[in-house]
Amino acid sequence: MNFWERITGSDMTKESKAFELRAAKLPADYQEAWKKIKTYLWPHADFTGRSLMPILDGVLGLLEETAADGQGIQEVLGNDIKGFCSALAGEEGAASFRDKWREQLNNNIAKKLGK
Amino acid sequence: MQKKHCKIAVDSLTTTRYYIAEHGSKQHLLSVIQNSKEVFALENLTEMLKGSLEGCILEIISRGETYGYEITRRLNALGFTDVVEGTVYTILVRLEKNKLVDTEKKPSDMGPPRKFFVLNDAGRTELRKFWERWEFLTSRMNELKERK
Repeated sequence: MNFWERITGSDMTKESKAFELRAAKLPADYQEAWKKIKTYLWPHADFTGRSLMPILDGVLGLLEETAADGQGIQEVLGNDIKGFCSALAGEEGAASFRDKWREQLNNNIAKKLGK
Repeated sequence: MQKKHCKIAVDSLTTTRYYIAEHGSKQHLLSVIQNSKEVFALENLTEMLKGSLEGCILEIISRGETYGYEITRRLNALGFTDVVEGTVYTILVRLEKNKLVDTEKKPSDMGPPRKFFVLNDAGRTELRKFWERWEFLTSRMNELKERK
């Protein structure tokens, strides 16, 4: 990642486009799930969303493999797509900007109460 | 009740292929469906299994090189019908991140290359520790149950 990419996020745009091209080849029910996964993963992102990129890449790989096996999306992800996403984001240790804000808030309150 | 039956149907569908591959007939699968009362009783198994699933997967990988789909089917055939490949995937990601497994991408007959997993030394140590914890837990639980 060079300076230009860091400022504009152009590398991420490129990567996202590549993801969508891959996703477009998936069966319809898989594409629905892919949309949901992106929605659920978003709150786990850091400020720019860069931390999500490798996670999304991995998930897409899983979807591609299982679709090629001829499995239904229900068989692969079960009913709990949300739980699947938080497990993923948690495991990958992607600290989100919300975590940071929450920590700041907690620290501030602790300071005030301490006085 | 209706909902439960639907769930059984979905679970059975998930495992049909594996049962037939493993046992060469639908006989075993049918017996599982007949024993569905047992499955009802095990409805809340998922929560209980959560902490042990990593150990289960380490054990399966220790038997020889394998991949996500195969691991999931093995767990399903064992009776853990609620375990889906997505769940196994999240655990495999964690095992890889904690460097307990070595991975290799291999071309597949259908679709994209598959990621195969083997246990490394750290993984074997972790597996041994898992079974030690398990022994301890079960022995304590049994004592609690037996002692009046």
